[in-house]
Amino acid sequence: MFKYILLIGKNLRRNLLRTTLTALGTMVLVLVVTLVWSVLYLLDGVMAEKGANLKAIVTERWQVPSQMPFAYARTLGEGAARNAGDVRPQDSMTWQFFGGSLEPNKRTREDLVFAFGMEPKKLATMMDDLDNLPAGQSQQLQANIRLMEEKRQAILIGRQRLAEVNKRVGERIKLYGVNFREIDLEFDIIGSLPPGRYDQFAVMNRDYLNEALDNYPRTHAGKKHPMADKSLNLVWVRVPDREQFSRVADQIARSPLYSDPAVKCETASSGIAAFLDAYRDLIWGLRWLLSPAILVTLSLVISNAISISVRERRLEMAVLKVLGFRPGQLLILVLGEALLIGISAGLLSAGATYFVVNKWLGGVALPIGFFPVFFIPVNALWWGVGIGTVTSLSGSIMPALSAGTVKVSDVFSKVA
Amino acid sequence: MPSDGIIVRVSGVHKFFTRGSEQVDVLNDLNLEVPEGEFLALMGPSGSGKTTLLNLIAGLDRPSQGEVRVGGQLISKMSESQLARWRTRNIGFVFQFYHLLPVMTAYENVELPLLLLPLSAAQRRRQVLTTLELVGLTNRDRHRPGQLSGGQQQRVGIARAIVTDPSLIVADEPTGDLDAKSADEILDLLCELREAMQKTILLVTHDARAAQRAHRIQYLDKGKLVSTEIELPRAS
Ligand SMILES: Nc1ncnc2c1ncn2[C@@H]1O[C@H](COP(=O)(O)OP(=O)(O)OP(=O)(O)O)[C@@H](O)[C@H]1O
Ligand SMILES: [Mg+2]
Repeated sequence: MFKYILLIGKNLRRNLLRTTLTALGTMVLVLVVTLVWSVLYLLDGVMAEKGANLKAIVTERWQVPSQMPFAYARTLGEGAARNAGDVRPQDSMTWQFFGGSLEPNKRTREDLVFAFGMEPKKLATMMDDLDNLPAGQSQQLQANIRLMEEKRQAILIGRQRLAEVNKRVGERIKLYGVNFREIDLEFDIIGSLPPGRYDQFAVMNRDYLNEALDNYPRTHAGKKHPMADKSLNLVWVRVPDREQFSRVADQIARSPLYSDPAVKCETASSGIAAFLDAYRDLIWGLRWLLSPAILVTLSLVISNAISISVRERRLEMAVLKVLGFRPGQLLILVLGEALLIGISAGLLSAGATYFVVNKWLGGVALPIGFFPVFFIPVNALWWGVGIGTVTSLSGSIMPALSAGTVKVSDVFSKVA
Repeated sequence: MPSDGIIVRVSGVHKFFTRGSEQVDVLNDLNLEVPEGEFLALMGPSGSGKTTLLNLIAGLDRPSQGEVRVGGQLISKMSESQLARWRTRNIGFVFQFYHLLPVMTAYENVELPLLLLPLSAAQRRRQVLTTLELVGLTNRDRHRPGQLSGGQQQRVGIARAIVTDPSLIVADEPTGDLDAKSADEILDLLCELREAMQKTILLVTHDARAAQRAHRIQYLDKGKLVSTEIELPRAS
């Protein structure tokens, strides 16, 4: 085995330029395939819906960002169930986004806090990642939730945000409304959010915001706040499965309560799917045209290089045969050359892509849609090896067979 | 080994090649016996089929008709991979143009056939060094073919042919590409090997002086061995 590898290495070394070019070609193509597949992988991952415990999202139907009257909240939370046989969601939560600045009329990054207004207890049951915290963090969160329920002024701020606005737990702050103009609220920072995806956000009690909106007319000559009927951004409802989801969605769609503005009910992935529908042809092309075309090209590149090197070495192959190398052994030598180039170039390229994109660039901003950045999955390393193996095998099988079947007497009769 | 002391027995061999629709007869009902330990020279005009005959005996090709036995084994009926295995141990082939692998050193070229045998690296090493010493190239083992003279390259070629200790050495014009002095040295080497190691040597040559070194010369003409056999005085 080792002896073979030595022989193969010697053969590759003889034409370093060609070997290098072949390897480079392989690496570039593996790079492209890896990027394309990473995007597809990401999209597939997003679209693959959990079959159970779905979260349906209710938003305004025709407008982005969604701004619904808070009056919708109660009935939407019940999935618009009216009759005895109607489905009621297992749980629900409302989202009201309150953005505030620490300085009036200033909106620099160091001054802004973006808070989700919600019922405090939903923080532990409905939020992604917060429903299965380690015991210590979970206790802390429960304590904070109790505090928020007692004290409406309480706010939890994610660690990074807290550090960036240069405040500490225990301090009192005043946030001047940015999206709710003239709604300026004082908060007590009672804690931070569990580390992770909410590091940049804050959570407040929704009642505090709604109360402020209700009180607005008193100080403004009886005029309602311009956002008074637009303060509800999303409602999440939890349903056990797809069947229940479609019934709830149907209930909401038929309900006469939501006519101005109209609402729609989607699951996380159906919303994204609808969005991606616009790019369906592009994605289809990436998956079924571009990737295969690249793989075929790659095979041809390798095949070409290996064929040339086999043709050049027909005489040597014949000599090896005279020495007693069997057809199968010559076949392995040639396949081995291709595989060695293909696999190492594939692994190297995928590995380099992985490290450069994920560790060095910190992800790549994707032009389509609302994915902020995307990363190369670890699986890409296997894709690299896989692509290298498959393409180099398919590219070298013909030259390898021809090397194995070199007829000694033909070769030498032409030499003589 | 066969008991009758005949190492090569070619009987009733026909060989033809088809070129397009045309059939080219190269060997025609050819018979040849080579006793063990003999140094036989094969001569004949270009295109007379010397290489073809050598290929048949070395198991590189199969006769269209007839039988070839070497060392008692009917090699004309073996499969290609059987032949390959058999060649490694039983045949040493020396080429006119040496055909060393250019990317390998002299040492590695000689080691090549040993890779096919179940030997440890140490055993291989010992055998390669012994053989290089035998052909007088001990201090050239790290050179590549391009760094060696023709005569030296042919010594490497001979070392590669004998490193697996085959009983039959076939050489197709081994001196055809060498100057007279180098050619003589190569022939000396072949004679020494024959004597010291009891090898049988089949030498194809155009050079009458080279043929003089053999015990016996056979002429090949129009696909047959011509009967003018001359028993020569033994070469020293
Ligand atoms: N593989 C082959 N296919 C077709 N014809 C062949 C093949 N090998 C040999 N021949 C033909 O057979 C004839 C004998 O060839 P061979 O090489 O045996 O001659 P030779 O005696 O060795 O000649 P030279 O002295 O030039 O080496 C030639 O006419 C050659 O063209
Ligand atoms: Mg010839």
